[in-house]
This record gives sequence, structure tokens and C-alpha cells, in this order.
Amino acid sequence: MDKNEVQQRVVKVICQVLSVDEEMVKPDSHFVFDLGAESTQSVELVAAFEGEFDIDMDEDAALEVQTVGNAVDFITKCLK
Amino acid sequence: MRLILVDRLTDKRLNFYPLALCRPIWELRCGMSSLVEKMITRTGAADVACFVPPYMAEVYRAKTNNPVNDASTFAGDDLFVVDAKVKAAELDIDPTGPSLVATDSDGQVLLARITKDDLSKLKTDSLDVLLESAKAQLPSADGQIAAWNYTWDLVLANPKQLVEDFKAAGRSGVEGAVEEPKAIRGSKQDIYIAPGVLVHPMVVLDAAEGPIYIDEGAEIHPFTRIEGPCYVGKKSILLGAKCREGNSIGPVCRIGGEIEESIIQGYSNKYHDGFLGHAYVGEWVNLGALTTNSDLKNDYSDVSVVLDGKKPIGTGSTKVGSLIGDHTKTSIGTLFNTGAYVGAMTLIAATGKPLPKYIPSFAWFLEGVVTKGFGKKMLYKTAKTAMPRRGCQWTEADETMWDEIFEMTKPVRMDAIKKGRRTLAAGRA
Repeated sequence: MDKNEVQQRVVKVICQVLSVDEEMVKPDSHFVFDLGAESTQSVELVAAFEGEFDIDMDEDAALEVQTVGNAVDFITKCLK
Repeated sequence: MRLILVDRLTDKRLNFYPLALCRPIWELRCGMSSLVEKMITRTGAADVACFVPPYMAEVYRAKTNNPVNDASTFAGDDLFVVDAKVKAAELDIDPTGPSLVATDSDGQVLLARITKDDLSKLKTDSLDVLLESAKAQLPSADGQIAAWNYTWDLVLANPKQLVEDFKAAGRSGVEGAVEEPKAIRGSKQDIYIAPGVLVHPMVVLDAAEGPIYIDEGAEIHPFTRIEGPCYVGKKSILLGAKCREGNSIGPVCRIGGEIEESIIQGYSNKYHDGFLGHAYVGEWVNLGALTTNSDLKNDYSDVSVVLDGKKPIGTGSTKVGSLIGDHTKTSIGTLFNTGAYVGAMTLIAATGKPLPKYIPSFAWFLEGVVTKGFGKKMLYKTAKTAMPRRGCQWTEADETMWDEIFEMTKPVRMDAIKKGRRTLAAGRA
């Protein structure tokens, strides 16, 4: 899966979990400050990414991810 | 005679989880004391050695004065080897006498009495080797050894055990302070208030149906009603609690709301309103306000408990509440189903609905499903904060032990996490 496809699917998951419009979700969008993610939603996002990409993310490392772009990079790395 | 206490990592240990995940089974309570205290009293042993699952040995060494997992303790004396599950009160084999061995239905050694002379004929390289050697070479004991089979056995036996332990303690009367106005029902002979206890005004001590033992340094705040039989442990505080019959509250707890026929190991908080019945709660647990467990099904049928995340086990009792592991925290308004298994190091954010009957250890229960949450490091951080508040410390040995428990409990937790991911995905679709 290439990075573009990862990005599209990451954006789709973010929109569903955080109930935000797609145009709000930019690579440098911060999950908490720009997209309004509450702490439980951060956990739900990790679970949703794991489900979407069928991957197992280390929770400590995953929760270090702050922006949409970081998430795309992190997941792309996991898929490799 | 040397008493050798044995808690091996066999399949039957699971029957005492989540409480025995981080402690030997003999440290569990029933009545006024732990199973080990009862066994030492029953055998009169002055010399005791312990064998525990290796992953908890270092932590347990810091909590006991007895040698732990030390095979050199086999030498030099007659041995009375007893499995942690053996019921002290029903043990009818004397600790001294000719060598013999008793096993359970699976062939596991429950008890071995080995004279010093016979010991020289057995292999003593390790505990397992010694027990196998004893089983092969020593005569079998007549009859069966009574043993605890599940954690809920302790809960169900607790009221009767409290009465027996009170009688055996042989104390009654008031050595602490009881402020007026007080209300005492039943015989004053059935109440013991230890030195350093402070009972505030407007407290009801109802010993009409069973004795009440309030241990040193405990504090009972106004509008608490304690119904016997009951044991309140050292330095515990009851805050306007409706403490119904049959409770054993370990040391340094904070208890409010309604509690009935339950055992709390110690160092746990149930500060606020909410009902806890026929439950066993570990240490360092915090039950948020209005946390409530069901202990009776609406159709009055026997309660079942899921111990392995898969198969329900019938308890044979219509009343069984929750089994809650150490370091677990619940949010306000948490509702536990009848016979719920709540793992250790679990964090629960309630949704308002009754929770699943099985929640694995190290689970973060959020949005109605099991998730990885913020991981074990955040749970350790909470433990590091909570323990010094009660004068205890989280150690490196604790962390190593809990890391092992994290791995032991991983398969069933991962199954629940995957199910949670599917549920969340279906909710978004």
C-alpha cells in the first residue's frame, strides 16, 4: 500500500472517529488542538487505525503521534 | 517440623485469578485472617518456608520473613508440605508422624508429611522433583484433603468463618474510643473494638446476628451501620457505610456505600455510594462513585463466572458478585454484571450499561469495548502515585512482576481488543 492510499484511509478514519469534515484534516493538523480529540477518542483512533489497516500498534509509541502526518508515517512504517 | 507452603503454577491457579495473579493463593482472606495465618495456627509451625510461582518470588520476598523458593529449606528437619489450596480448618492430618502423601483428583500433591529420615531417600533438587519423588515413594494418606477450589468459595464461606475466627480470637469489649451517642444491638460480648479505634457518634453496631471485630487504628464515621459478622481491618475507615453482614475489610481501606458479604484484600477505596455484594476485591482498587455490582440474577438461577475469557463456570450459588483484580479503577456509575470477572490493572470508563462479564487484565474499557488504551506504563504511573498515599512504594520488582502478568494475560486481552476494534468499526459504519 503506498503512502497516498494510507493517507486517504487515515483521513477517512479520522473523519469518522472525530466527526470532522474532510477539509479540516491536513497533514499538519494536530489531533488535540486542531481536530479536538479527547483522550478517549485518541484511544479510539488507535483502535480504528489498527482495525482499518489490520496492524498491531505499540500503544506507547502510537500515543506519541501528535499530527495527521505523523500518523500516516507511523502506519506506513507499521505496514512495512 | 518445618511447614513448607506450596503454590505452584498449575492450571488450577487460574481458578483464583484475578486475585492470585500477583500474590500466593494463601495470602487471600477468609474471615478475619488470611489462609496462611490459618494454616500456621492449625499446624503450630514456627518454621515456615514458601514456594511461589517464580515471577512473583522477588515481590513476595519483600513481604514475608520466611524464605521463598529456597530448596535448601528441605534439609535439616521433618517437613509438612501443604498446598496453598488446602483448607486449614478441615485438615485432619497431624503435621508430625510417619511419612505420607495426599493428592487431588488430578494427581497433584496437596500434602506431604516427610520425616527427616525418609527425606534422605527422596530427590530434593527442586520442589517439583521433591513432590514427584514423594508421590512415587511415600504411602498415600487415607481419605480426601478438603481444598478451596475457587475464589468465590472464600466469599461464600466468609460469614461462617468470621464467626469462628472471632471465637478463636477470644477477645471482646471496648479498648478503643466509642463516642456518644452510640447504638449497640446484641451482646457486648460479641463486639471487640481494638486499641486506637475511634468510633464517632451516631454509629450503629449490630451484633445481634454475628460478632463485630474492629481492628487497631480503624475509624468509623457517623451514620455507619455495621452488621455482624464483620471484620474491619487495621487503619481502615468507614464513611457512613451501610455495612451489611458477612464483610471482611482488610487494612487501610476507605469504605462507604452499601457492602454485603464481601472481602476486600486491603488498601482499596470504595469511598462513595454504590452496592458491592458477594465480591472479592484486590489491593489498590478504586471504585468510583455509584459503582455497583449485581450479585443475584433476576431469575434466581445459579451464577456463572468466566475465568478464562471463554467458558462460564457454574458457581452452584445464587449469590456471587464481582472478582476485581489489584490496581483496577472504575469510573463513576460503573455497573458490574452478576459474577463479573474484572482483571487486574484494568481501567473502566463506564457507559451506563452493565459491563461484559469478563474484562481482561490491563484492559482499558472505553466506549463500551476493551481497548489497549494508554498502555501499561500509564497504569504503572498511576500505581506509583497511589501507593505512597498509603505509605507504600511501587518497586522495580513490582514492575517486573506486572510485566510478566501483562504477558501472561496478553492472549485473552488481545482477543477482546480485536473484538473491540470490530465493534467500534461497526459503530462507525
